[in-house]
Amino acid sequence: MLIPHPLLGPRDAVEFTYLGDASLLARPDGLAEGADAAFHDYVYLRDNPAGVHRELWYHEQGDRSWLVVTRNTVTHEILGAELARDVALAMRGAK
Amino acid sequence: MTDLIPITALGTPGGTQPQRARFGALHLAEDDSMGLASFSLRRGQGAPQAVALPGPGGFLGGFAQGQGIGALWMAPDQWLILGTGQALGDFAAQVAVLLPGGCVTDQTDAWAGIEITSDAGPGPIEALMSKLVNIDLAGFGPGRATRTGLEHMSVFVLRRSESQIAVLGMRSAAASLWHALTTAAARLDHARGTA
Repeated sequence: MLIPHPLLGPRDAVEFTYLGDASLLARPDGLAEGADAAFHDYVYLRDNPAGVHRELWYHEQGDRSWLVVTRNTVTHEILGAELARDVALAMRGAK
Repeated sequence: MTDLIPITALGTPGGTQPQRARFGALHLAEDDSMGLASFSLRRGQGAPQAVALPGPGGFLGGFAQGQGIGALWMAPDQWLILGTGQALGDFAAQVAVLLPGGCVTDQTDAWAGIEITSDAGPGPIEALMSKLVNIDLAGFGPGRATRTGLEHMSVFVLRRSESQIAVLGMRSAAASLWHALTTAAARLDHARGTA
């Protein structure tokens, strides 16, 4: 399986380690009202889609960047990859 | 004071002389003389104007400003600076002068460097890389460098020229790296001899 690294081009998936759902980037505010419930959902609840899924991969044997990889969990087709840093900064800017 | 004897990462018996080996056209030589330092930019800091640092996947053998000082791209806003023959001095201090403003961390002796040279053109070098690392050789000409896995170890591979590469591996795993490289080179040589 090849992951299209946005900076380095196609790289073998064995260079990466997998973390999980990219929704982990949306960490709730620990000081906000209802933080207990928000953190319960953040830590324990995940969608488990059969189809397109956005997930976090770490380029451990490479440039050590975190990527958000869009993958189809049924066909294993990789639809795209972007730097998690860019995704996180865009989320922060959108708030 | 106790007399301390500096030893190389791989060291021939006694450890004072760097390790060397030859398999057919391929020469493998430990380089214990390379000074290393990482240079990274702080958040929002622009790239230094004084020197042109390489982009992703790039490797520069030498800057005009520093004799024998080169750089490879490690990660966004981070580079590994290499100084030929600079292992014994304070290389990080030298890098901080050359590249002011960023963060410099000394990496000398954190990595064991092995230079691999072919005296029969790029063929043996590319055969060795094909055997050991997942690098697309079509895009890995001179001036390219990348970090990848080699027998489960994290290494940097630098394409110095068509017929020379350098492999940097963790110093603590230097003997495993040497074993992997020499075993593969010996098998290639054997295969060529019996073909």
